[in-house]
Order: sequence, then structure tokens, then C-alpha cells
Amino acid sequence: MPNSSMSNQTTVENWLKAQLAEQLSLEAEAIKATEPLTRYGLDSIDAVTMVGDIEDVLDEELPSTLFWDYPTIAKSAQFLVENYDVSALADAKDEPVEELEETVAAPVASAGKSKGWGGLFG
Amino acid sequence: MTNLEQYQTAEALEKALGDPNIPESVMSFQKVMEIDETEAFPHEEIEWLYNWKLADYYTPTNCGGKFTNFEEFVAIVRVLCRRDQTTGIAFTTMFWSFLCWMAGTEEQKAKLSKFVREEHGAMCLGYSEKEHGSDLVNGDLTATKVPGGYLLNGEKWPINRATISGISFVLARTGEKGEAKGLSLFMVDKREIADSEYYNLPKIHTHGIRASDMSGIGFKNCFVPDSMLLLKEGDGLELGLKGFQITRTLCAAFSLGAVDTALRTTLNFASERVIYNKTVFDLPQPRRILVDAFLDILLCDCETIGAARGFSVIPQQFSVWASVVKYFVTTQIENTINNIYPVLGSRFYMRDEHDFGMFQKILRDNSIISMFDGSTVVNLHALMLQFRQLTKQRRRRQPETMKGIAERLEQIFSLANPVPAFDANKLELFGRGMDDPLHGLEVALKKLDELQQNAELNQEVLSKLINLGNIVLEELDAHDSEIANSKFEFGHDQSPELFEIAKKYCTLHASACCLHMWLYNRNSLGDFFAQGEWLVLSLHRLLRTIRPLPYTISEHYIENVAQELVKLHQENKSFSIVPIQLAEANTIKQEDNTNAELINV
Repeated sequence: MPNSSMSNQTTVENWLKAQLAEQLSLEAEAIKATEPLTRYGLDSIDAVTMVGDIEDVLDEELPSTLFWDYPTIAKSAQFLVENYDVSALADAKDEPVEELEETVAAPVASAGKSKGWGGLFG
Repeated sequence: MTNLEQYQTAEALEKALGDPNIPESVMSFQKVMEIDETEAFPHEEIEWLYNWKLADYYTPTNCGGKFTNFEEFVAIVRVLCRRDQTTGIAFTTMFWSFLCWMAGTEEQKAKLSKFVREEHGAMCLGYSEKEHGSDLVNGDLTATKVPGGYLLNGEKWPINRATISGISFVLARTGEKGEAKGLSLFMVDKREIADSEYYNLPKIHTHGIRASDMSGIGFKNCFVPDSMLLLKEGDGLELGLKGFQITRTLCAAFSLGAVDTALRTTLNFASERVIYNKTVFDLPQPRRILVDAFLDILLCDCETIGAARGFSVIPQQFSVWASVVKYFVTTQIENTINNIYPVLGSRFYMRDEHDFGMFQKILRDNSIISMFDGSTVVNLHALMLQFRQLTKQRRRRQPETMKGIAERLEQIFSLANPVPAFDANKLELFGRGMDDPLHGLEVALKKLDELQQNAELNQEVLSKLINLGNIVLEELDAHDSEIANSKFEFGHDQSPELFEIAKKYCTLHASACCLHMWLYNRNSLGDFFAQGEWLVLSLHRLLRTIRPLPYTISEHYIENVAQELVKLHQENKSFSIVPIQLAEANTIKQEDNTNAELINV
């Protein structure tokens, strides 16, 4: 189904663009799918880390060198569409960076310090 | 003699090398000081180590050697480096052979095995370049494809053992600059390339490890056959980064070897020197400094030995664990050495007084360890990139996850049980958010709670451990909350604050390793270890750096640890959670090395 896979391709590309835009402080519109990711300041180790972000959404284990082997958004999106069920990315498209669930309300630094000596020396 | 089999080779090597205080011993303090002063490469000492068949312990059993896991390896390297880091490091450039053991063809492995074990061959790692430092993907050294092989062009610098080695692992660019798949790794055998097509760069004069062959290598249209390529073209960076996970972890052994001598030589002085009608060691302040140094070694032991064994159980988590060990242990030990020199007084600065002037040499030599093979900045950066994943994964843990973590922790930290053979194929570029030592903290806390039923244990110690363990948990929860609330950005403009958060993570990691180490070895590492007072003091020492705590938690515990320190010093045993017997004056082994020949000069 060319239309479906084309739409999947666009979905993945947009998700990746949004992801990059968020984490490199860029405008998503300024990112071209056919440019090497390194051009936007994503170095080799960052690219490995970003694989983990996609794994989280897809709940799949991906090759850690995904963005090394497919170094543009277009190529990596094509690889993902051809090899994985990417529908989860469509659901996540409005929330480009998966927010960590906030379960601890208190800010951290003060949370630690406010505990004083932890009752250890009472 | 320790009853742990994995430490017996280290003890045997110790005995064979002899007491370093005796000038005639191999790698004696007098000899290594002379070597340092002349800055001449320690050929004789290296050859002695080859003749002792030490290269076997750097070569896996399935490649013809005796290596099975890194716990034994770490103990061996400590034996070398307590005498001399220059020689220890020069011999241990052989750990780069793991690049071939993990990625080589059967033919490449057989050739390298023969080279190191039978031909006494050595190797170097050519990654960094003068203009690019650790920015590997932008290197200028290129490999251009030609029929049957490649032509290398460019220089690598600064490279330890670049000149005095037969094999150079060279990272060369086969693609465009900046491309992660644009690098390829070659195992260049200098015997098989034309002399006219490569050259060595002059020896670099350094602050420490002065007798090292710190130099460089250059290639000019140098033909290397296809058989020298490791894996496929473009696989160089992945292989290189995985190799770093191994070598970065092992760097901790260089530090731990050196600090033993730094503390021992200071104790030699402090226990003899009398001022105000007391020995220096009997004065409260110097005594405390030396006790703290001993604690530093014990807590770094827990992190290092845990990691060395962890390689065999959870190799896929080492993008995190290797960064923690490399940063934490090497900088902690740097601080330890800096902390104790005031006890030694002005002698710390002298090149020929007091134990042949070893302290100043250690101070200089050791300062490179936190820098090479990935600096503190590189390691903290690698760690912080994984924070979001670590936090997410920790929050997702289910009872089933905890069961798996608990089983792995027991396997990793129970020193009495052998670990499986190391499988380098399981190394991963990123850890998928897994970090068993910290994610299994609750396992340790639960075990501490259960121990409250144990009448044999000192309940005061246990109560303090539970409180300190809970502080670790609170701080870890706080860390996760902070990461969850912060915006993450890629790139190299990470905030100084994030570097501090990464350092704190390492402190918590070390705390967790200390707890695990104690819990799984209470019945196997002797009374002092089992008592747990050292653990209370170690956790307190670690946590005091991230939370306001009283300076002293128990004078009584400090005194008991001081007594153990004195005992190990008097019995001439290593300062460690697994104290091995050090060479005694009457165990010098005489070896005739006068006819030794080096094949790679």
C-alpha cells in the first residue's frame, strides 16, 4: 500500500524532525529530511542515544547504529517503516519528546537537603 | 594467601617479582626510579614479564591464552602498578588486543596470539591526532581503497608505545569527515609494511611516566593488505568505542596499584617518625587522613572489582558502568594521593629520599590516568547522555525486573562464586537505561532490613547502614526527579551543573557497589570485612560529599579501621577488600634477563 507506507514515512520523518528540533533547539521547519543529521549538530554518540528514544516509543529493540547506517531522516525513516510497526510514532507525534512521568513532586536538590542528616545521628 | 582462586596469579606474580624495597628485585623501587630519571624505556622489565608468561593472561583461553575474566586481570595489573605505572602501562597496552579478540577473524586472532605470547610482541592504539584530539570522526588519517588493500596517509599522536611496538591499531577515515560509519580500524603489522612507507614521531617528554614510549606514528602512501582490516570498512568507530568500555574500566587498576604504594610509603614514615613524643600515625589528624585514604581504596575496590566481574554478567550495560569507573575511581584516587602527602611532609617532593623518592614519582605518574583513554569530561558526558534512559528505565521496573536484577547482582558481587567467561560480543554502544548496581539498590536495602533478624550482626552497625542506604535511595530518587524535570539537549554545550549531577550519580553508584559487595561477601572476606564498620565509614565518606553530614560518624569505627590498616601494613598485605600477600624480602626470584631480546625495537 504505497499511500500507507508514504504516510508512515512522513509520520516518522515528522516525528524525527520534532525530536531533533526539541533536543537541538532548532525550528522543525528548518530541518531537511535529506541532509545528514551531523549537519544539525547531532554527533555520533548523540545519534546512538536517540535510538533509545525511538525504542521507548516503539517498544522494540533497534540497531544501536541505526542513525550511523542511515544518516539522514529520510533514510532512517525508510528503514524504520520497512522493518518495524511504526504506528506508535503516529500516536506520539503530538508529543515529540516523551516526557518522563513526574512522580516526585518536590524539586530534587532541596528534597535531598531538606532531609537533613536522614535521622542518622539523632 | 587468599583462598579466592582468581587472586592467586596476582600473588604468584607478586612473589616472583620480589620485594620492591630490595634493590635487586625485578622492578624494585630503586630500579624504577633510575628508569624514570633516565627516561629510558624499561625493556628488561617488560621482557621479564613476557618470560613469566604474563601475556597469557591478556589472551583469552579460546585464543590460546589464560584470560577468562577481568577480576583476575585487575589484580595482576595492580601488582605491576604498585611497583611502577610506567612499566605496568607499557606492558598493558596489550589490552588493546581485545579489539582483535572481539572482532578479529580466526586467522587474525591466531596471528595476534602467537605474536604476543610467543614472539613477545607489543601493540599501540592509534586513535588521536594532533589537530583533533578525541574528535575521532574528524580525523585526517585516511585509508584509500586500492586493489588488495588500502593506502594509509596521515599521523597519529600522542600514542603510547607508538615506536616500540610491532602492531598499531589504527583508526583511519574511509569515508567523509564527520560520518560515524566513515572510520575503519586496521591492525597494522609493521613487519609486513614497507619501512619507507611509515615513520615514527619523536619521543614526547612528559611530566610523569617519563620512561614511556610516548610518541606517534605516520604513514605516507603506506600499503596495508585487506587482511589487516578488522571487521568491515566503516565499522571502526563502533569497535573502537566498545574497546574503550573495556580499557576505561581497567584503567582503575593502574590507579589502585599506585595508591597502595603511596599509602604504604607514607605509613612507613608515619609509623616510625616521632614528634611530640608520639609517632605521626598516633596523632589524630594524620591518623584520620590515612584511615580516609584506606577507606578510599576499599570503596574504589568495591566499584572496580564489581565492574571487573560485571563484565562477565552484564556486558551490555558497560556504556554506563565503564564511564562511572573511569571517572570515579581514577579521580577519587588522585584525590587520595593528594590528601596524604601532607602526612609525608616535605619528603613527598624529594626524588631520592625516603623509599627511593617513590611518592613524587607516583604523584606525577598517576595524574595521567584520569586523562587517557577518555578524560573525565568525555566520561561524564557519555554518562549524562544516558540519564534520561536510566531514569525512565528505573521508573519502569516491575517485580519481575527486580528479580532479574537481584539474581545478576548476586552473580556479580559474590566473589566466592566464579563468573562466566567474558563475551565481548555482548557489549553495546548504549545501555538501554539499565544500571543494575543502582537499579538494584532496593534489593540491598531489603537485605539490610532482613539482617535485623540476625543476632550475630552488630545491630548498631546495621542500623547505621540502613540509614545511610536510605540516604542513597533518597538522593537517587531526587536525581531521577531532577532529570525528569530538566530539558535535555544534545551537543557539547552541556551545562556545568549537569557535569556536577553526573559526578553525584557516580558517587551514588559507588555507594551502591559498596553495599552490594558487603552483602554478598560478609561470610567470605574475613572478620574485618564482615564487621561492616568500614562500610559505614565508606558510605558516610561518600555521602558527605553530596549532603551535609557530621564530620565523624563513629570514633570507635575509625579506630578499628586504623588497626586494620596497621595490621595489613605490618603483615605486608595489599590494602584491599581482598588483601593479597605482598612479596617478602626472602622471596626474591632471580631471573637472568641478560640475553633477553626484544623483537619490536
